[in-house]
Amino acid sequence: MTHEEMSELYELYALGVLDGEERDEIGQHLSTGCEVCQTGLRRAAMQNVAILAALTPEAVPSGRVRVRLLAGMGIAGRTWTWLGWAAAAACLVAAAWLGVRGSQMSDELTAARQQAALTDHELARVRVVLDVLNAPDTRAVVFGQEKHEPPKGSVFVNPHSGVVLIASRLPQLAATQIYEMWVIPKGGAPKPAGLFRATAAGTAIHRLEGPVDVETTGAVAVTVEPEAGSSAPTSTPIIVAPVAGS
Amino acid sequence: MSNTFLVSVAVWILSAVLHFRDDSELVDRLKRRDPHAMTILYDRYGRLTYSVILRIVRNEGVAEDLVQETFLRIWNRIPGFDQQKGALGPWALTVARNRAIDYLRSVEGRAGETAFELDLLEHPTLFGNVQGGMLTLDRQKMLRDAVERLSPNQRLVIELAYYEGLSQTEMAARLKQPLGTVKTWVRSALKMLRQELGEAVA
Repeated sequence: MTHEEMSELYELYALGVLDGEERDEIGQHLSTGCEVCQTGLRRAAMQNVAILAALTPEAVPSGRVRVRLLAGMGIAGRTWTWLGWAAAAACLVAAAWLGVRGSQMSDELTAARQQAALTDHELARVRVVLDVLNAPDTRAVVFGQEKHEPPKGSVFVNPHSGVVLIASRLPQLAATQIYEMWVIPKGGAPKPAGLFRATAAGTAIHRLEGPVDVETTGAVAVTVEPEAGSSAPTSTPIIVAPVAGS
Repeated sequence: MSNTFLVSVAVWILSAVLHFRDDSELVDRLKRRDPHAMTILYDRYGRLTYSVILRIVRNEGVAEDLVQETFLRIWNRIPGFDQQKGALGPWALTVARNRAIDYLRSVEGRAGETAFELDLLEHPTLFGNVQGGMLTLDRQKMLRDAVERLSPNQRLVIELAYYEGLSQTEMAARLKQPLGTVKTWVRSALKMLRQELGEAVA
């Protein structure tokens, strides 16, 4: 047999199930100290173990096997007092709980990290929005209250910080569409004020940064536009918030 | 208890378990004839060896006797084990399997016909070069999946070889199939499993 032919038989040889002639030939060859075949045999022996370990259904031996084995060697088995049993039981319960809890905690930790990253971003946005809302010179306009159909919300306009739109019950858009906010000067053409998307729940907070001349602003509006946005509205506004005092 | 505390405890337990899995210290204690090392050895590999033996002999009482024989054999032969290279678990598993096959052959009257020197095939030096990933749970799952992909005949001959210790000639007689056919099933099955293990075995 060539090395290649023998290499196909190493597992059977290591299992001790190779028939006479082939077994003898490999045995004789191994006795020459062939390093290739010695390595092949070790590999086969380990493969056999891996297959056994993978295929064998797990069974639990009776406690008496351990006792007999150790007693036969003159080693006393453990003496289990009620305290020992209680401690063991407590450990088992704790281990089981830790196992389950550990898995849950891992998932929760991942989710928490993602949430934390999101929260940092959201928190920064909320702080800015709150600054606008709390500023004494901010003008607030509620919209949609008189309408039975959505959306509803508020627009906050501050001469220094810009415009904040908070809306709810916004309709879900197609993937190719987007919401666009407009600041409409009195008697002038709408000016683009940024693109935004609503959450799955239909809510959105959108901010236009920068100074706004409140006195000359007639309204803030929102339209549905192609996802790249438009330089001028291409649809009827779904939100129109007249800026108070105009 | 805070979650932080629980995580710390879990990490500590995991570290202890991982440390425990290093067999070199255990082999050293067994070589120094520390009888308490046998307790650790049994606690570590008792269930695995029992499982393999029971699968082969299918009798709990016999399996228990053979487990005892297995561990005594390891105790007696540990001086020849090289803890720098050796893999104690695979060796223990092989000794267990061979004790069970030896028993099966003797009760089936096969000992005189095809008995092979299993002793030689469980020499500790055979279990020296193994990469750590070979017996990982992932690897075992891949192997189980590979076995699932074997044809019924391929799987049957693998079980006859591993769990009944039948030679290919004996398989052919039992299955009433030509020897060449049986050899084809055996070799193709082993080839698939060999490929699945890939580079895990050095």
